Amino acid sequence: MSETNVIRRLEAAGLPPQLSRFGEWADRHFKWVLVAPAVLLILALSIYPLVYSLVVSFINFDFQVPGHAFVGFKNFERVIADPVARWSLVLTAFLSFSSVAIEFILGFAVAMTMMRSFPGRGLIMSILIVPLFISPVIVGQTFTLLLQRPFGPTNYVLSALLGNEVTISWLTESPYIYFSLILADVWQWTPFMFVILLAGLTAIPPNLYEAAELDGVGPWQVFWSITVPHLGPMILLAITFRLLDAIRLFDTIFIMTGGGPGTSTYTASYYLYTIGFTQFHLSQATAGSWLFLIFTALVVVFLVRRLLKAETN
Amino acid sequence: MAEVKITSLHKKYGAFHAVRGIDLEIPDGEFTVLVGPSGCGKSTLLRMIAGLEEITDGEIEIAGEVVNEMRPRDRDVAMVFQDYALYPHMSVSRNIGFGLKARKMSKAEIDGRVRAAAEMLGITDLLDRLPRQISGGQRQRVAIGRAIVRSPRIFLFDEPLSNLDAQLRDEMRGEIKRLHQDISTTMIYVTHDQIEAMTLADRIVLMRDGVIEQQGAPLDLFERPASIFVAGFLGSPKMTFLPGRLEIGDKGAAVALGDGAVVIPLPADRPLAGATNGMSVILGVRPEHVSRAKGQDLGPGHLRQEVAIDLLQPTGSRSYATFKLAGMPVMAELEAHDVSRPGETIAVDINLNRASLFDAASEKAI
Repeated sequence: MSETNVIRRLEAAGLPPQLSRFGEWADRHFKWVLVAPAVLLILALSIYPLVYSLVVSFINFDFQVPGHAFVGFKNFERVIADPVARWSLVLTAFLSFSSVAIEFILGFAVAMTMMRSFPGRGLIMSILIVPLFISPVIVGQTFTLLLQRPFGPTNYVLSALLGNEVTISWLTESPYIYFSLILADVWQWTPFMFVILLAGLTAIPPNLYEAAELDGVGPWQVFWSITVPHLGPMILLAITFRLLDAIRLFDTIFIMTGGGPGTSTYTASYYLYTIGFTQFHLSQATAGSWLFLIFTALVVVFLVRRLLKAETN
Repeated sequence: MAEVKITSLHKKYGAFHAVRGIDLEIPDGEFTVLVGPSGCGKSTLLRMIAGLEEITDGEIEIAGEVVNEMRPRDRDVAMVFQDYALYPHMSVSRNIGFGLKARKMSKAEIDGRVRAAAEMLGITDLLDRLPRQISGGQRQRVAIGRAIVRSPRIFLFDEPLSNLDAQLRDEMRGEIKRLHQDISTTMIYVTHDQIEAMTLADRIVLMRDGVIEQQGAPLDLFERPASIFVAGFLGSPKMTFLPGRLEIGDKGAAVALGDGAVVIPLPADRPLAGATNGMSVILGVRPEHVSRAKGQDLGPGHLRQEVAIDLLQPTGSRSYATFKLAGMPVMAELEAHDVSRPGETIAVDINLNRASLFDAASEKAI
């Protein structure tokens, strides 16, 4: 009854108004009109520069050499032949893998500790994640002040603790310089690991541990048979995120060492920055960036595949 | 094989007093069911026996030994959890054998025991699967397998069937009962389901607000409930409660319902300890004690009454019919064809020999 009424009323209202030809066209393609601004922005700011950079890597775009001639793979050859470039890649791998490994172990340990409840737990937790809120530039600056010779407190404290005078140039002497860089990174990013792993640990059903306790399973076996397999996807996620971030390490290098002494703390990002923006060999820097992108992509693909596999299990 | 003795046991979670002074003795080999509404402390009590909850006050003894300070693993008890708590990354056979492996048993012996347990539960073809690859009922079997494979002194069950659908629940209930008949180890079983409690238990311990309301054999509790709470909790559909006034006269005692509109005489041999004339009482009548009147009056102990059926719920085998007595609804469990449609007026017999009588003030049985 009511439905017929509605239909009658609609009929009485007559046909919808006729649209102009443009109006009709716009009506049909309205969805495209809506996405157009975003697509244009992406095209202009991402796709075009990306394609253009590929072009640049095959031509001469060096500010110190006139002309834009096609040079084939010469830019790539130059990067590969550069010992500094190769060293920077090795250093990037070394620094990122070792910091992430240390961050993972520390973060895991702290997360396990924080699973227990004790007085002041909330406060300690808040303090622990503070480093995450600090800009890496500030972290670099702070560690520079702490480690500096002769005025930084580090050597002073170490001397007092060890009983004999310590005079280490933490920021200019190999291998201490690497230790310092890793220390700053670990200080800043361990909380990240901690937060993600803690979230993973909290999600493990407690009655699994209770069942294991009743089964008489020892703590070590519980850790390997329950905690680790449950945490698998979270561990992969945390490591993937952290590794991708660590690979493009730049800020702390820029602040703490400036790549020095010499070129011994050039990471891949720092190398590319120097070649491109201080020496203005733009073609070589672009070619280097593409090579670095390929290396990074290999790592990413490997990790993300594992991650997706772990997720589906 | 062990008996359990619990003495004035308390559990407090901060200000919340979950278990308030429980005394309980469970003989060796008995199937005890802890039952009660949610929040009555039954699961807490079970977890304290397992050692998963700390004891605030009181004592738990297993086989004559105080276990208050003993770690769960050393108590030699096994527990089946409501959500199974299977190790998700291990195959069924590893799940079952994990506790044995932890106790450093040889691989051959573990395999033998796992196989025996799997055969007992009919899950031999699932041994290589992962928990997520099997159904809920199968998971529960694996969880039970994990418990029996260790031959513990005591089995603890924490609402093991509540995640299963109705049909599977009936089936597993039977299997758990059979398991107890086969291995006759002490079993303590927590449930909120009164049917599970009635069917499984050698003894029911009915709890409410952290204390034991009544304990005893299932039929004792069912037929002689100590309080309105027990009477209402056991039995489905529920017992009908009719508030009235007790009248003790020359011709015996009777309960006057409403303003004396209906007077129900009580059987002459019914003991009325502590009852006084004119006190407020509650008469409890189970649906199965109301039947359609057939033939002659059944005499003393029975009340014949003409009633109009106002609601009829057939279940197939039986029909639940509701009628009003002195303005209060009473449910009767009749035979399927006793009443054909609501509105019909029939004569019913109420068996007062089986009825319960409670003091309205204390809610305890008279």
